[in-house]
Amino acid sequence: MREADTEIDDATAVSRARGGDLGAYEVLVARYTVPAHRAAVLLGAGDDADDVVQEALVKAYRQLSRYRGESGFRPWLLAIVANETRNLHRSRRRRDGLALRAASASEPLPDAPDPADTVLARDRRRQLVERLRLLDRRDQDVLVCRFLLDLSEQETASALGLPKGTVKSRTSRALARLREHLRAEEVPGA
Amino acid sequence: MPDHHDDLIAELRELDTWLAVPEAADQRVAVRERLTRRTGRWRVWLAAAVAAVTVTVVAVEPARAAVIDVVAQVLAVAGIEVRRSESAALPTASPSPLPSTGAVSLEVAEQRAPFPVRMPTGLGPPERVEIADLDANGVPRVVSALYRGGSVRFDQFDGSAGSFFKQAQDAEWVDLGGAMAIWLPTPHTLTYIGRDGVPRSATARLATPTLIWEQGQVTYRLEGFTSLEQARVIALSLA
Repeated sequence: MREADTEIDDATAVSRARGGDLGAYEVLVARYTVPAHRAAVLLGAGDDADDVVQEALVKAYRQLSRYRGESGFRPWLLAIVANETRNLHRSRRRRDGLALRAASASEPLPDAPDPADTVLARDRRRQLVERLRLLDRRDQDVLVCRFLLDLSEQETASALGLPKGTVKSRTSRALARLREHLRAEEVPGA
Repeated sequence: MPDHHDDLIAELRELDTWLAVPEAADQRVAVRERLTRRTGRWRVWLAAAVAAVTVTVVAVEPARAAVIDVVAQVLAVAGIEVRRSESAALPTASPSPLPSTGAVSLEVAEQRAPFPVRMPTGLGPPERVEIADLDANGVPRVVSALYRGGSVRFDQFDGSAGSFFKQAQDAEWVDLGGAMAIWLPTPHTLTYIGRDGVPRSATARLATPTLIWEQGQVTYRLEGFTSLEQARVIALSLA
């Protein structure tokens, strides 16, 4: 029975949590704390990411009646996380940028060479992160939501409080700008 | 057209696993605690991150508790905290006002405020407009308008950065044209919280009945009407 409790799917957990079952909600908390925290960090919450996540999880519980379940609990929660992160930016007027893992953490194990971890690939990733950070915050946010957090256009729209059409146009504009920035760097190095 | 960005999109998707993300704290205990307690870490969170209008509801009878809880949820969304505590600090005998720059014209307030300044048309033109607590660039956090010889006061501020600390005997959840508002029907202590998040006790004063609501991320407080109905009519005349 106890085991079954941790195995319940999101939909079951949500419907039990709606009825006030905090144990069922805890299953969701356990399942989505890490992705929620990741989203908060990627959207610039920095050291406040844990606070953002906790706030989002509490709000999510209180807003469960509004959850429709069209696209799953994860994107719904991430939209709340993104919203909380924006509140944070508004209040402190600073945001923490994306950062690559410390070099030591991304060093490949000597006996497990990873083709994705060549010097070239690492340089490219460093470049990509640097250029991403140069983008306008709004451009950065759509790219993070769409491709790093893998949210749909609709989910990104609700996470960022934008019309879907704006998400669409901003995404292609941000991609074009990112590409321009990358090209600008490639030229002197070529 | 978006096709030619496919390679870049693939790179971004792949980048995700290489980004540094610190370890997430386990939230299970904290979240459960907050969901079972009547009040939670609002204060800590809000003071640290969003700053807030804080409504302390003192000595709430059990029958009121449910109402207060609803208010807490709703107003937390607007950057407002409802907190119960056993005792309330009394305001100082001679409170100093908000760190205000004094009277300005409505046009100046409109130019400098970081949000669209709106006024309740039901009160006519304000007799005095003030902007308060400016940042280094001269951007105010609060815009206040005074009417009827100062007996009616209308404050507006960015709901995510606003800062009043309230201690009230009573707080009610009321409907405002289908939106949510809080009505403080009795005099209560009002303290301004500075940009640093520290309450300025010198600003504590006894506020008269007040209606507080949020719209478009701006939080409004209308002070000076003893009747909720009157306050509501004025609040709905916001233009």
